[in-house]
Amino acid sequence: MSAAAVIAGREFRSFFRLPVGWVVIALYAALTGVVFAAGTLQPGGVATMRDFFALAAWLMLPVTPAVSMRLLAEEARSGTLEALVTSPVSDAHVVLGKYLGALAFLVAVLAPTLAFVATLWLVSDPRPEAGPIVAGYLSLVLLGGLYLAVGTLASALTNNQTLAFLLTFFFLVALLLASGTRMDFVPDWAQHAFYAVSIQRRVAEFAKGIVGLGDAVFFISGAVCFLALAWGALESRRWR
Amino acid sequence: MIKAAGIAKSFGRVRAVRGVSFAVEPGQVAGLLGPNGAGKSTTIRIITGYLPADEGTVQVAGFDTRRDSLEARRNLGYLPEAAPLYPEMSVVGFLRYRARLFGIAPRDRVRAIGAAMERCRIEAVRGRRVGHLSRGYRQRVGLAAALLHDPPVLVLDEPTSALDPSQVVETRELIRDLGRTRTVLVSSHVLGEVERLCSRALIIAGGTLLADGTPAELVRRHGGPARYVIEARDEGRKAEPALRAVMGVAAVREERADGHWRRLGVEAGTDAPDLREPMAAALAGAGVAVRELSARPASLEDVFLRLLRAADPARENAA
Repeated sequence: MSAAAVIAGREFRSFFRLPVGWVVIALYAALTGVVFAAGTLQPGGVATMRDFFALAAWLMLPVTPAVSMRLLAEEARSGTLEALVTSPVSDAHVVLGKYLGALAFLVAVLAPTLAFVATLWLVSDPRPEAGPIVAGYLSLVLLGGLYLAVGTLASALTNNQTLAFLLTFFFLVALLLASGTRMDFVPDWAQHAFYAVSIQRRVAEFAKGIVGLGDAVFFISGAVCFLALAWGALESRRWR
Repeated sequence: MIKAAGIAKSFGRVRAVRGVSFAVEPGQVAGLLGPNGAGKSTTIRIITGYLPADEGTVQVAGFDTRRDSLEARRNLGYLPEAAPLYPEMSVVGFLRYRARLFGIAPRDRVRAIGAAMERCRIEAVRGRRVGHLSRGYRQRVGLAAALLHDPPVLVLDEPTSALDPSQVVETRELIRDLGRTRTVLVSSHVLGEVERLCSRALIIAGGTLLADGTPAELVRRHGGPARYVIEARDEGRKAEPALRAVMGVAAVREERADGHWRRLGVEAGTDAPDLREPMAAALAGAGVAVRELSARPASLEDVFLRLLRAADPARENAA
């Protein structure tokens, strides 16, 4: 088994041994449950989860930093990072393993929301289309993957979990505001650049059931870029 | 083996390690000894590959820690200071994780974990959460993790710091036993620990290696002039002039007086021979009754303090 998989497995299981893991699962399930009951489950309405996915994507904003904040920051604070990076594992595997463990946990956070799909399926006539639902979940995983990569970088930059959370959260909020709001005072080229990295636009496409290769590549390549930066940040700990 | 050649490391303007060189062979337990801030931890971290040296090279089991970093780490078992572990994991779960991380084959894993737990006497807590263990047990779990892959080189940073006296004795025995076939480097600021545990002491201060040798060699080389203690019935106070008249005696001072009995400390001059016989003869000649006359050998502590004072005169003045 590769070292990254070993680290990912430990990381994934550790979320279930810590209160923070269960709190994140419970809060996400409760909040998306409210969104589902209030917005999606409407008598006489169209059986679609489009609004659910749009709001679920917003809820990723506080959830993903809560998951990623401890990945490397806690290892550095507690001293376990020293034992980890002096074992025969490359720094790239450490970052990848940590990230994959968090991503797997994010999938576990999303899993309870499948109960909403099942509920809608049972009570609707005609039944909802499967395509947009699959695409919606894919968008949440891709979006969460990008957010977690940003969080992994923040966690590699500091030993303080709270600071890692805040760095990730405010960076993501700034990115969403910049790419989703029309700002007349910004020059055209900058408007175009912000539009090119617009997250909301892509999530909305997924929610319609349109799985664009370009959008998927955007999320994956963005995550890869932030993971590469996190790798650099971890390496730089040796020189700092 | 561990071979450090001219390693140096600075943090900003602070030079933590300055051109330290030494080699520790298989079958040796070497103690890296120094006061706080001496550069011990930085040296240890360079050897384990956690920090890169600005200058110089380190080889672990023949592998350069920068060029063949992963291979060097495969041959190294490392117990960092305070044995940091994951508190939410069980002892056996943690060891299983470390075994996987070191690539121990599944068929060998159970045996390796069992052997490490037995050696470190932690079978009784195998199912307990690490966070619920006493510091002594955590230290032993960290040591078991360092031994899992049966490495030829062990680096242990303060391995007995959290243990109770009986555990300290057991752990010293374990480290001595491991050192029969392995290269072991132990970092400590406890002089007695190094004296009892190590076949070799490396004294470091201010980032510089001040001395390197067996404790006996260091005492011989750096222990300073010989000292003697004498207990004599000396009502007429004849002992001191008689001793001062002996060739080679540099100083005599009273340490304690108990009625007619006086305890005297004698310091020999540099390169003086064994003075016990001429001093006994001089005291007998002066009519002084003696109930004790013995050489007081210098300890590693004396060596340590002398070297530190020589390296940092300000410390001597402060003392």
